[in-house]
Amino acid sequence: MDVRAIDLSATSGRSRLHGASATAKLTALALVLAGVVLQQNVLIVAACGLLLAALAVGSRLPLRAVFGLAAYPGIFAVVFALAAAPDLLTGALFVARAVTAALGAIVLVFVTPYPQVFAPLQKVLPEVVGDAMLMTYRSLFLLADKFEHLRLAIRLRSGLSHGQPVRAARASASALGSLVLYALDLSQREYDVLRLRGYEGGLRISRRASASRPFDAALVLAAASLFAVALVFRLAGATLTPYSWLPAALAASVLLVTSAWRLVPR
Amino acid sequence: MSHIHIPDGVLPWWLVGAGWVLALALVWYASRRARASEVRRKVPLLGVVAALVLVAMSTEIVPIAYHVNLTVVAGVLLGPWLGAIAAFIVVVMLALLGHGGITVIGLNTLMIATEMALGWALFRLMVRLLGRARVRWAAAIATVLTLAVTTTLLVGLVALGGGGAATGRETGALDPNSLTFANPFSSGVVSVNTLRGAEPAPATPEAPLSLGRFALVVYTLGPIGWLIEALITASILGYAMRVRPQLVLGGTLVVPLRGPVGDEGWH
Repeated sequence: MDVRAIDLSATSGRSRLHGASATAKLTALALVLAGVVLQQNVLIVAACGLLLAALAVGSRLPLRAVFGLAAYPGIFAVVFALAAAPDLLTGALFVARAVTAALGAIVLVFVTPYPQVFAPLQKVLPEVVGDAMLMTYRSLFLLADKFEHLRLAIRLRSGLSHGQPVRAARASASALGSLVLYALDLSQREYDVLRLRGYEGGLRISRRASASRPFDAALVLAAASLFAVALVFRLAGATLTPYSWLPAALAASVLLVTSAWRLVPR
Repeated sequence: MSHIHIPDGVLPWWLVGAGWVLALALVWYASRRARASEVRRKVPLLGVVAALVLVAMSTEIVPIAYHVNLTVVAGVLLGPWLGAIAAFIVVVMLALLGHGGITVIGLNTLMIATEMALGWALFRLMVRLLGRARVRWAAAIATVLTLAVTTTLLVGLVALGGGGAATGRETGALDPNSLTFANPFSSGVVSVNTLRGAEPAPATPEAPLSLGRFALVVYTLGPIGWLIEALITASILGYAMRVRPQLVLGGTLVVPLRGPVGDEGWH
C-alpha cells in the first residue's frame, strides 16, 4: 500500500474530478455502489467497472497503483468464489462486484484527500472517533514509511542468516516489536503536540469548496443514471437480459475513447 | 480470520443492515466509555494503534492473500472499548482502499472488535494461568483461540447469509443443468441468481452459497494463518514485555511514555 502515492494524487491532481466536492463524490460512490450491489447481471457490473476505469483514465490517475489496489480484493473474491460460489458465472459475478466496488472506492481516495472524505463522516460520528480517524491518517504515513525500512532491514538480516529461517524469523519478530514500540512512542509525542496546541477534543477540518458546482451536479446525475440502469435491469431482468451487452459495449467504447484522449499530450 | 473477505453484494441486506446498526451502536457506546477518562491521551493512542493494524492488514505476506492482522496485539494495548473504535476506523479506511467491502463495514467492525476484545480477555486469562514469565505462550494460545472463534463466526455469518441448502449445487460449474457453464454469452443469458429472492433462472431456481465447501476452505487455510499470526503476536508481545512490561500488562498507557526526541520527521 503506497499511501504517499494516494495522497500525492489526491492533493496535487488537477482534473475536474479532483476539483469536485467531497460530498458529491461520496454521493456518486454510494449510488454506483448500490447499483453494483443490487445487480445480478455480470455484464452490467462489468459496464460499471469499465466506466469507473474510464473515469480513472480520464482523470489521469496513476493507473498501475489504481488497478493494482483494485485487483487486491479480486484475489480474495476469487478465493471466496472458489470456496462458495455454486457455479462459474456466479463466481465471476462475485469477482466483478468486488473489483468494481473496490475500484469506485479507490478512485474516490485518489481524487479526494482523506481529511475531505472524513469531514462529512465527522458530522455524524462521535467526536473521539472523528479525531482518531485524523490521527490514524497522520500516523499511517509515519508507520508505513517505518515499515518499509523495516522490511528492507529484515531482508538484509535474512541475507546475513541465509539458511537459518528461525534466526531470520526472530529478527523479523523483533523488528515488528520495535515497530509497535515506535508506534507507542509516536502516540506519546502526538499527545504532547496536541497538548501544546491546546487540544480539548474536536479537531476541525476546513472543507474545500467545489471547483464547479455544475460538474458536481453532472457527476451525481451520471451516477444516478448508472444506478437507474442497474435498477431497471434488476427489476426487468428476464426481458432485458438479452440486451445487457449494450451497456457493456457502450462503457467499453467510453473507456476506449478516454484512453485515446489520455494519450494526447496536455 | 480477522475481517470478512466477502465481496459487496453477497450477503443479504438484512444481515448487512443489522451489522451496520450493531456496529454503530457499539462504536457509540465505546465512545461514551472512552469519554469517561482522559480523551486527549486516548485519541493519539487510538490513531497510532489503528494505523499499525492498517499497515499490517494491507501488507500481503504470502501469495495466498494472507496478511498479518495484529488485532490481538491491538486488543491487548487498547482494551475492548477503545479496540471497538479502532476496529471501526481500520475497517472504514481499509474499505476506502478497496480492501474488505463497503457494505460489510458494519459486520467487519463487529468481527474485528470481537477479535480485539476476545484477544484481550484470553490473553489476560492466560497470563493469570501461566504466569508472567510465559507471556509468549499466553499470547500464542490467546491468538489461536481468538482466531478459531472468529473464523467460526465468519462461517456462521455465511450460513446466515444463504449457505443453508448448498448441496444441490455442490458440483458448481460442472453442473450439467447449469446453462451458465457452457458459453453463457451464446444465448445472451448472463443473469444469475446469487441468493434467495432473485428472479428465477431456468434450470436452478436458487443458487445458494456452498457452505460446506466454504467451511472446508476456511478451516483448511485458516489454521496456517492462525499459526503465523500466533507466532508474530507472541514474539511482539514477548519483546514488548521484555522492554516495556507496563504496556502489555497494563492494557493501556497507564504510565506516560517518554521516548527520545525522534528523528522521524513530522508532516
